[in-house]
Amino acid sequence: MWGEVGGALVLLLLLSEVLDCIGISPPGKPVLINCRSPEKETFTCRWDPGFDGGLPTTHHLYYQKEDSDGMYECPDYQAAGSNSCFFNKSHTSIWVNYNITVVAINSLGSTVSDPLEVDVMYIVQPNAPENVTVSVVETEESPHLLVKWEPPHEADTRSGWITLTYQLRVKRQNKKEGEWEEYASGKQTQLIIYSLHPGDVYMVQLRCKLDHSLWSEWSTTTHTEVPDYILKERSIWIVITVFSAFILLLVTFTLAMKRKYVKHCLLPPVPGPKISGLDTQLLKSGRSEDILSSLINQGFPPTIATKDQQVDYLLVFDSEQVTPDLQNGQTRTKNIDHGRYDHSLLMEANNKEVKVGGRETVEQGYSEGLESTFWKTKSLSHPCPQKKPFNNVTEMPKQAPVSSKYRSLSHHKDLLDSLARHLDYRETVVKSQSNCDDKHLSSQNIVTPLKAIGYVEVQRWKKSIGLQVLVPKMDKSQEDYSTVSVVENENVVLLKRETVPLNCTSCKLRGNQSEKCLQQKPCKPHMTVPAKEGVYIGSNGYVEPVTISHTL
Amino acid sequence: LSLSLPVWALLLVLVCVELRGSGMASAAPICVHGQAGCHFLSLADLFDRVIQHSARMHSISSDLHSEFEQYVLPSRNHIGRINRHCHTSTILTPNGKENAQRLAREELTEVILKLLVAWKDPLWQFHQNMVHQDDFNNFSSNKALEMSYMVHELRKGVEKVADRMQHLGMISNSLSGLSSPETLDPSSDTSGESQAMSDHDLLYCFRRDSNKVQNYLKILKCRIVPENGC
Repeated sequence: MWGEVGGALVLLLLLSEVLDCIGISPPGKPVLINCRSPEKETFTCRWDPGFDGGLPTTHHLYYQKEDSDGMYECPDYQAAGSNSCFFNKSHTSIWVNYNITVVAINSLGSTVSDPLEVDVMYIVQPNAPENVTVSVVETEESPHLLVKWEPPHEADTRSGWITLTYQLRVKRQNKKEGEWEEYASGKQTQLIIYSLHPGDVYMVQLRCKLDHSLWSEWSTTTHTEVPDYILKERSIWIVITVFSAFILLLVTFTLAMKRKYVKHCLLPPVPGPKISGLDTQLLKSGRSEDILSSLINQGFPPTIATKDQQVDYLLVFDSEQVTPDLQNGQTRTKNIDHGRYDHSLLMEANNKEVKVGGRETVEQGYSEGLESTFWKTKSLSHPCPQKKPFNNVTEMPKQAPVSSKYRSLSHHKDLLDSLARHLDYRETVVKSQSNCDDKHLSSQNIVTPLKAIGYVEVQRWKKSIGLQVLVPKMDKSQEDYSTVSVVENENVVLLKRETVPLNCTSCKLRGNQSEKCLQQKPCKPHMTVPAKEGVYIGSNGYVEPVTISHTL
Repeated sequence: LSLSLPVWALLLVLVCVELRGSGMASAAPICVHGQAGCHFLSLADLFDRVIQHSARMHSISSDLHSEFEQYVLPSRNHIGRINRHCHTSTILTPNGKENAQRLAREELTEVILKLLVAWKDPLWQFHQNMVHQDDFNNFSSNKALEMSYMVHELRKGVEKVADRMQHLGMISNSLSGLSSPETLDPSSDTSGESQAMSDHDLLYCFRRDSNKVQNYLKILKCRIVPENGC
């Protein structure tokens, strides 16, 4: 008996050895890959068969359910392809655990895989969305992509059993290293994509998820080309806007550059007050001394600048010598240059020398005249051309303040005015006789009149020293004027009642030229006029007649 | 004050009536057909609210379960889970779409309410256990607390929906007997089992049941108010 057992064992060993040498064995262990449910109503399990052992091997799937006893075999091996098991709706229970195993059987043996525990609830993975359509919608502003899709056809969303959420991703084909842009779509089955690049090809993919399940696979790529578009209307507006902005900028720039002209054009400057002779700059400088000097020097008192306003001279003539000149028709205006020199007071009386000069000298002349019968004028005679006979007069000090000069001589002026009214006017040419030697220039101007007539030359201040000439009325025919005999004091002038022979007076004045004089009666210089009448210059300046009984 | 005694008595009576009236009245004023000062919610709005609530509840339970499996049970093998018994397995629930659609509205609503009622106490117990243990962190314990609170709120919401449906005549009045906690709560029968259930099993079972509630509510909504979202 032991021999038979031993013999059987040896036979088996030999058989297995032989089988090994041939290369056949029982099948290898199959492996369950996964089970998937696309719509939460059915599911499919797949396995890997493993090594078949060299012999034809069959696989069987067995499962157990949680709530029921018994081992069941796969209801459908073909629907999902090879090595798969498809559980249809009737065989699928949700919220129930399945214990699934696969058995591989061949002629030599069978092998059981590891079990897989499955709850359909947690193996759900939907299929990708279907019917993905991408269209380019061109609107006013900018074109955009409109992506539409449909849920996978097996998913039942209408009964509320399944709630799908979608996800979309977009990529530009031209950009090589571009990334996919993902957009979540929620439960909607369409999406709009903005900000497109014209001329590009866009790739779109979609996937979906069922409740809290796994994401589906990405759908097949949909390619869409965005056409190159030129918004014609807008481009024209853009061009117009840019152009007008450029023009506006140019105008603004020009105005800014020429703002002075613009300002002058729009807001013309108001002419300010202009005082002739007033220097505004000097006023602005603020130095009072300069201001005062400029104010005063400039023209006050107003001077006669024009020639026609200038006053002609009244000259006292000696009738014998002067008349030929007058008959010649000479006017003194031609002989005397008004604008040049300043006249001194000329009083001719009896050919006496009278001092002529400036202020001091004139006063001196006045004072002398008080004593003498006639005015005396004394000028520095020089053979200078008459063009400038009195240029030494200009040597007079000009620095004396005008006001004081004017004041001092105004009084004299009044006196002279009054004298002029009562005396005969005759033009007298004063000829300077002595030399024109400038060396002998002194402050005293001596004029030796030709003949003392007794006329008064009244002068006024000229511009520079303030003397002016009174405009006389030349009337030679008047002979009824009275002559001045003596100036008594400052404001009394004694007139000759009787005409004293002029020869007498002229003799005195002339001095050496007394030929004619000798023929005449000798005059006693101190002979007084018996009957005297005079004029009295009151304080108000008016002349009043006065009678003086006594003789000087 | 110079008020007379009867006036004082009258005032006192009025105050007492007021207090009593407020105490006896129901908690919330009933808003019928858009009264002033009351925001009227349609049935569809109510359904949407409860569905959102159930979705949130399910997501929290899912998180807790995965945390538990990841940190607490790394070494435990998964064989033998087929023998797990949830304390709610006695409640007959439809296991598929057709089964759920075949149920009547009242029955479906009843199933939902049964499930929600069944989980109120076990979740509270679970939270209490978790506080004392150190297995979970504070974040998980907060989730457990929120979960138990949400079950309570969801149940009230579904009851409101059922009341509204009864008002509108969509379902019959056979649900009135369900509101009493004694008939619905199976904890009296399975109290021993619920306590024997481990935390892991509890989380597993609750995750499943919350999913059931969510799905049943969705089916119910699309059957009753299928206007939008179905």
